[in-house]
Amino acid sequence: MSLVYFKNISKSYNGNLILDDITFSLEPGEFVILVGKSGVGKTTLLKMLIREELPTKGKIYFNNQDITKLKPNEVAILRRKIGFVFQDFKLLSNKTAYENVAFAMEVAGYPESAIKRDVPEVLKLVNLERIADHFPYQMSAGEKQRTVIARALIQRPELILADEPTGNLDPINTWEIVKLLIKINELGTAIILATHDKEIVNSLGKRVISLENGKIIRDEQEGKYLI
Amino acid sequence: MIENLQRIFRTAYQGLKRNNWLSVACISMMTLSLILFSSMLLFNYLSTNLINVLKAKMDLSIYFKNDIPEEDILKIKDELLKNDLIASISYTSKDEALKIFTEQAKYNPALQQALNLVGENPLTPSLNIKAKNSKDYDKIVSMINNSGFKDKLLQIDLTQNQIVINRMNKISFAIKITSLIVVSLLVFLSFIISFNTIRMAIYSLREEIEIMKLVGANNWFIRGPFIIEGIIQSLIASLITFIILVIIFITFGGRLDSYLPELSISNYFLNHWLFFLGSQTLFGLVVGILASTFAINKYLNI
Repeated sequence: MSLVYFKNISKSYNGNLILDDITFSLEPGEFVILVGKSGVGKTTLLKMLIREELPTKGKIYFNNQDITKLKPNEVAILRRKIGFVFQDFKLLSNKTAYENVAFAMEVAGYPESAIKRDVPEVLKLVNLERIADHFPYQMSAGEKQRTVIARALIQRPELILADEPTGNLDPINTWEIVKLLIKINELGTAIILATHDKEIVNSLGKRVISLENGKIIRDEQEGKYLI
Repeated sequence: MIENLQRIFRTAYQGLKRNNWLSVACISMMTLSLILFSSMLLFNYLSTNLINVLKAKMDLSIYFKNDIPEEDILKIKDELLKNDLIASISYTSKDEALKIFTEQAKYNPALQQALNLVGENPLTPSLNIKAKNSKDYDKIVSMINNSGFKDKLLQIDLTQNQIVINRMNKISFAIKITSLIVVSLLVFLSFIISFNTIRMAIYSLREEIEIMKLVGANNWFIRGPFIIEGIIQSLIASLITFIILVIIFITFGGRLDSYLPELSISNYFLNHWLFFLGSQTLFGLVVGILASTFAINKYLNI
C-alpha cells in the first residue's frame, strides 16, 4: 500500500499548464528527491499534498484517501499528519522556538503534560534546547530551519515535505539540515525533498524524480541530478 | 475542551502583549470611536430634551375681568380640566399676580415707579393652561372663544404664543431629522473606524494565520484568540473612554451646564454613568467581535 499516490495530476494557472499528467507513488519510509528548474512545478506538487492547492485534473491519495475531496476540518487533520519544511521557514514570529513547536501539538489537541514531555526532547534532537526561548528574529537561518524541522517532527508525521529547505542556508548549515532529514528518514518517516542543489542530490544516492516542462522525464532509484 | 479554551485565552494574551504597538493602536482607535459613540448618546439626549424643555415652557394665559369672583374662575378651571387636550391649569389671583410682578420688577425702577403711580393693583386674575400636546393650543383657544365664559375674559394671551407654538413645532421636526442624521453618521463613523483598525491589525498578521492553517490548526483555534483580543481591546477602550468622559464632565461640567441649565448635561452623564459605560462596552464588543470575525474569515480559506 503506497503512502502517497499522485494519479494523472495536471495543474494549470490561467490556461498555462504547469503540471501535465503526473503519476508517481511513494512508499512508507521512502526518501524521494524532486528535481527540476525553478517554476517546473515542484512546489505546486508539494502544496497539493497539504491541500494548499488543488489539481486541475487527477487525484491524490494519502494513505488511500483521496485528499482532493476532503472537507475543511479533514484538511486540518491531514496537515497534522504531514510535516513541512519550507525555504522561507514559516515560523510564527511572535512565538519562541519552544512555543512554535508546542503550537503544532496544541492544534492537534495534545494535553499539556505531553507537550511538556515531548517538545524539549525534539528540541534536543535538533540541538536547539539552549535557544528554546528565542524568538525567530533572534535566531540564525540554520536555527530557524531546525526549529521548523522540530515542529514538523513533533507530531510524528508519516511524511515530511521539504521544499528547498537549504535554499537560505550556508554550506555548514545546509549539511546539518540534510543530515537531520536523513536521520528522520532512518527513523521511519517518508520524505519528499524538492531541491536544485546538485551536490546534495548526487551525494544522497536516493530515488530522484526529475521534472521538465511539467512532466516527469526520469524516475530512478539512486538517481543523479541530470538537468 | 477546557484545555483548548485555556490555550485560546493564553494565545490571545500573548498576542496582545507581544504585538503591543498594534494593540495600543487598536485600543486608541477604538477609544476615539467610542468617544464619538458617547457624543452621539449625549447629542441624542440634548436634541430630544431640548424640544421637551422648550415645549414645557409653552402655555396659554387667559385673563379675567376684575369683577369676576374667584369662585367663578375656579369653576371655569374645573370645567376646563375636564377637557382631554389640557394637561394642567394653574390659577393666579389678583394679589398673587401683583406679588409676582413686584418680585420681577425689583431690579427695574421704571416698572416700580409705574406701579406706584397707578396706586392700586392694576393686575387681573388669570388661568395658566398647559396643553398635553403643543399642537393643540389652537384648538384650546378656539374652544375658549366658543365657550360660555368668553364674555368674562379680558384677554387671551394667544397671538404671541401661537407664533412661538407654530415655530416650535416646525423646529422640533427639523431638530428630530437633523439629530437622526447626525446620530446615524456618528454611529457609522465610529463603527467604520474601529472595524477598519481591527481589520488592518489582522491583515498585518495574515502570514501568521496562513502558517497556523498549514500546521493543521482548525478555524476556531485560529479565530478564537483574535476574537478574544478584539474583546479585550474593546473592554480596555471602553474603560479609557469612560474615564476620559468622567474627567471632562468633572472638570468642565459646570461650564457646559451654564449654556443649557435646564438640561444639565453633566448631571445627566454622572447620573447615568452605568448606561454610558454599558452602551459603550456593548457597542465596542459588537464592533470588536464583528470586525475580528469578518477580517479573519478572509484569510482562513487557505
